[in-house]
Amino acid sequence: MQYLWKILHRYSNFLVFLLLEVAAFLLLFYNQAYPRSSMLSTANDVVAWQYERVNDVGDYFALKHQNEQLAQDNAMLRNQLTLLQGDSIITYQSAKVVQMTTDRLHNYLTIDRGEKDGVKRGQGVRNKDGVVGIVRTVGLNYSVVLPLISEQSQLSCRFKKNDYLCSLRWDGKDTRIALLTDVASHMVVNSGDTIVTSGLSPVFPEGLAVGVVDNSVLNPGDSYYTIRVRLQTNFKRLKYVEVIRNANQDELEELEGQENGLD
Amino acid sequence: MMILQVLLVDQVQLYGVCHPYIYVICLLMMPVTLSPKIDMLCGFITGLLMDVFCNSLGVHMAACTLLMFSRRYVLELIVNDVDRLNEQISLRTLGPEAMIKYTVILVMLHHFSVFMLAAWSWDHFGYVLLETLVSGVLSILFVFGYNILKNR
Repeated sequence: MQYLWKILHRYSNFLVFLLLEVAAFLLLFYNQAYPRSSMLSTANDVVAWQYERVNDVGDYFALKHQNEQLAQDNAMLRNQLTLLQGDSIITYQSAKVVQMTTDRLHNYLTIDRGEKDGVKRGQGVRNKDGVVGIVRTVGLNYSVVLPLISEQSQLSCRFKKNDYLCSLRWDGKDTRIALLTDVASHMVVNSGDTIVTSGLSPVFPEGLAVGVVDNSVLNPGDSYYTIRVRLQTNFKRLKYVEVIRNANQDELEELEGQENGLD
Repeated sequence: MMILQVLLVDQVQLYGVCHPYIYVICLLMMPVTLSPKIDMLCGFITGLLMDVFCNSLGVHMAACTLLMFSRRYVLELIVNDVDRLNEQISLRTLGPEAMIKYTVILVMLHHFSVFMLAAWSWDHFGYVLLETLVSGVLSILFVFGYNILKNR
C-alpha cells in the first residue's frame, strides 16, 4: 500500500495532467454531440455583450452601406407583403449578427436574439438573399447559429427545375461555395440551375433560395456528380438576419418523434 | 492579465486569415516556481476562457493543459540549470538561443493541437499543418516582439 502511494505521489503531476485532459476531452465530445450549454458559448450574455460593443464601433463606419441595404430590404419586404397576405404559419423575426467567423472549418455566428425573444434550438435563420443556418445554442438574450458554411451543416435541398432532392454540405474551403455530392449521374445538371430548400423539414419554408450551380463534374465511372454551388448568402458581409418561426414546428417534430418511437 | 489577453486576442481573431493565438504568451512566460499542478490548472482555466469566446469548448483547454504540462520537460531539455530560473521566463532570463527553441517547440505544439482538435479528423491534415505553420510563425514573432519591446 505504501508503495502504491509512493508511485501515485511520484506520478501525481502526470495524473493531474491526465485528469485535466480527460475533462477537456469530455467537454469537447459532449459539446459536439449536444451543444446545449449556453453558459459556455458566445450565447453567454457577458461574452456576447462584449462582442456587441466591439461591433458598435465598427457600425458607425458601415452606416452608409447599411442604410442602403435597409432601404432595399424594406422595398423587397413591402413587395412580399402584398403577395403573401394571410400566410400566418411562418413568421420572421429580425436579428442582428453580433459576431461571426468565416475562416475556419467550424464556423458559427452569434445573433442578438435569445430565449427571451422566443428563439428555440433548431429554428432556421435566413437573410434577404437566402438560407443562413440553423440555431444551435440558445442563451437568454443571444443565440449561436450554425451557418451553412460549417463542416457540421447539412441541408436538404432540391433543384428548382425538376424538384430533384439533394443534400448540401460545405467542404471548409470557400465561403461562397458549397457542394452537392448525392446527385445521380442520370440527372442533367447545367451551371446556372437554381437550388432551393426542399421544405421536407419545418425548419425552412419550401423554395427558399440556397444557391446556383457553379459547375458540375462527373468523373467517368462515378455514379454521382460533384456539384459546386455558389451560395446566395454572402457570409462575409452578413449583418442582419431573420429567424424563421414555423408555428407548426413543435407539433411536426412531436409527430415525427412519435413516429420514430413506433419503429 | 488573462482577461486582457482574451479580449486582445479576440480583436486579432476578428480580422486575419490565419489565427495566431497570442494569449499563449502569458502561459509561456509564467515562472516555473509554482507547482506543476497549479501550472496546469492555470492552463486549463485560460483555455476554458478562450473556448467560451471561440465556441470551441474543450479545444483550447486540452491544448493549454498539454502546453503547461510539457513546458517543464522542454525546459529541462534545453536548459541545464532549470532551478536557476526563479522569475518570469523571457528572452532576458533564458538567453536568445534557448528562448527560440523553447518558444518554437511549445507554440507549434500548442497551435497544432488546437487546430487538430478543432478540425477533428485526418481529412484536413494538410490544411491543419499549413494553418499551424502560418499562425505559429506569427505567434512566435509576436512573443519575440513583446520580449524585445519589454527589454528596451
